[in-house]
This record gives sequence, C-alpha cells and structure tokens, in this order.
Amino acid sequence: MLEPSLELYGETYDKVDKLLNDLLAKSHARYAMIVDRKGFVLMHTRALWAPKPPSLDSLATLVASNYSANAAIAQLLGENGFKETVQQGDDVGTYLEELGDKALLVTVFDKSAALGRVKLFTKKAVEEIRMVISNSSDEVPDVSFDTNWSNSTGALIDGLFEVKDDEHN
Amino acid sequence: MSTINFSAREINFKIVYYGPGLSGKTTNLKRIYDQVPAESKGEMVSLATEDERTLFFDFLPLDLGKVNGFKTRFHLYTVPGQVFYNSSRKLILRGVDGVVFVADSAPNRLRANAESLRNLRENLKEYNLSLNEIPYVIQINKRDLENALPVEMIRQVLDPSSSVDFYEAIAEQFKGVFEPLRSVSKLVLEKLAQTT
Repeated sequence: MLEPSLELYGETYDKVDKLLNDLLAKSHARYAMIVDRKGFVLMHTRALWAPKPPSLDSLATLVASNYSANAAIAQLLGENGFKETVQQGDDVGTYLEELGDKALLVTVFDKSAALGRVKLFTKKAVEEIRMVISNSSDEVPDVSFDTNWSNSTGALIDGLFEVKDDEHN
Repeated sequence: MSTINFSAREINFKIVYYGPGLSGKTTNLKRIYDQVPAESKGEMVSLATEDERTLFFDFLPLDLGKVNGFKTRFHLYTVPGQVFYNSSRKLILRGVDGVVFVADSAPNRLRANAESLRNLRENLKEYNLSLNEIPYVIQINKRDLENALPVEMIRQVLDPSSSVDFYEAIAEQFKGVFEPLRSVSKLVLEKLAQTT
C-alpha cells in the first residue's frame, strides 16, 4: 500500500511552507522540518542566514528514532508520553512537537534564538498546520505505480547493482 | 507501508536487515555503502557501542533515480541482534516494507537463527503485520566458515516449506550482498504495483 503521511500537496503544501517560514522568522531558528514518524523527511525549510544543514535523511531518521525511544521510555515509566523533547548543546539545539499521529515538527535553533520563543512559535505552528491540513480541500494527486513503473524501477536497481556484481564475479 | 511524498515527488521504502547477533547485518550495510556510487547513497549512520556492536540501528539511504517523474528511495536499516535489545528492534520495524533476514552458518548459531526469526514474527505482530504479507528473503551468511552448516539444514529450520528466496553469502568479502537486497527491493516494488 501507499501512504501519504500527511496531506501535503497543492495549496496545502504552499500554506504549510509559508507557516514553516513564518516559524523561522518569528522564532529566529535555523531550520524547521516535518518528519514522518518512520523517519522520512516530508518538508523542510531553512532560514536565509542559516548554514547549510547536515544530511536531512540522517537528521530525520535520528529524530524519529529518538522520538520513538523516548515514547517507549515514557510507557515503561507508566506515562502516555513525555510532553516535551528538547535537546540543547553549547551552540545548537532541537525542539520537537508531535504533528498529528503520523508526523513530527522539528525546529533546529542556535544560541541566537531563545528557547522560549522557539517553543512558543513551534507549538503555534503545529496548531496552524493542523488547521490547514484539516481544512484542506485539495484532491489527492492521481498517480499510479503500475507494472511498467515497477519494471522500470527494477531496471534501475539492476543498473545500480549489476556493475558491482560483475566486478565480484 | 511505502510512503509517498507528493511535494518532493518521492516514494520511500524501508528495508530492515534482521537476524541474530553477529550474523553480519551491519557488515551487509557497510559493504553496500562501500560499493554504491556516491551519487546514489547518503550518509551511513551507525549507533553502536564502543566495541562496535549495534546498539540501536544502522541506517543507509539509497537513491535509485526517477521513473515517471518520481524518485524512488530505499532506506536500509539494521536492528541490534543481541537478545536484550528487543525494544529497539520493535521500534525499527515501524513502517517496514521489506525484510532481509541474515542467518549465521555457524553450527552453534542454528538455534539463535530460529529464535531471531520467531522474534521477528512476534515483533511484526505488534504492527499487525506478518511475514506472509511482507516481502522478505533470507541470506545465509558466513559460508566461508570451515564448519558451516549445510544450507539445506538451515533452510529446513527457517523455511521448511521452501517458500522464501535464499541467498548464500560471505558478506565480509562482498559475496552475496547485493542479491538479497535486489530481490527484496523488487518484491517491494511489485507489491506496490499490485496494490495501487
């Protein structure tokens, strides 16, 4: 089966993108990223002044795994979950909020941003994004992944691995 | 369940390498990382203990390229094999699309192989999944061991009905590493094509 984790396309995508940019402008954070709870990046945005971000795949995977691990710890301790996930280093920190039951909103900030502002505007952004998604009237784009697609993609897999197989045979 | 990202025009799949401790799951990912061209792979992330045993997971993203305007990406994960890390294994299985089960050929690991497969079935149940519906293949690793068990014996224990594809491997030497990944990836693609 195919699952869009959040309905982020068409006009909804543009609205959410604007909300993420507003979040960065108001909180003075570096990056904002919406991550699927399985660890896939769904959307991200970066402040104009911010340095190039690290690998987004790695960041998303670690954030989602860390969230899952924290949720498991909370359950072990008899809690439904922990209310906040904040990490702060000497220079950079992350703040995470749940976005519905399938995604997470992660804000990465540095010492030029006050944690209180980051928390406030991230929470606000989560509410606004939820509203935008629940009011969305965009139709799911019509895509089909048929046998032709799977054969063509299978050929890409062969192409990626064939050369190496030859080298080792 | 594969994830589609319409805005980035990407389809993402999650493949998990499962198996008993020290069977060679991390070695598989390391060899794949070594061999895949730079433009087709991302950073490899390993959360390991000081003595290089997997503590949480290893992660390697692969980028296949575009078909019909959609980029296809595979995220490869390993789980920690040691028995006491079961909570971590469960977490990694969330959203899994395909499994490569890495079995160990050593005689004293036959029981560990069987136990790990049983554990995989149990953990999948937590997500209402079963090995009957998820594409999976078995790699029998460490075929270079002097006292390696016969493949048929391992197969009898892990898949007595011979319903799953088996691949012999010496992952350390990059033998039999790509084949199971290629096989499970194609099964995952076929499954998606059948359901959309």
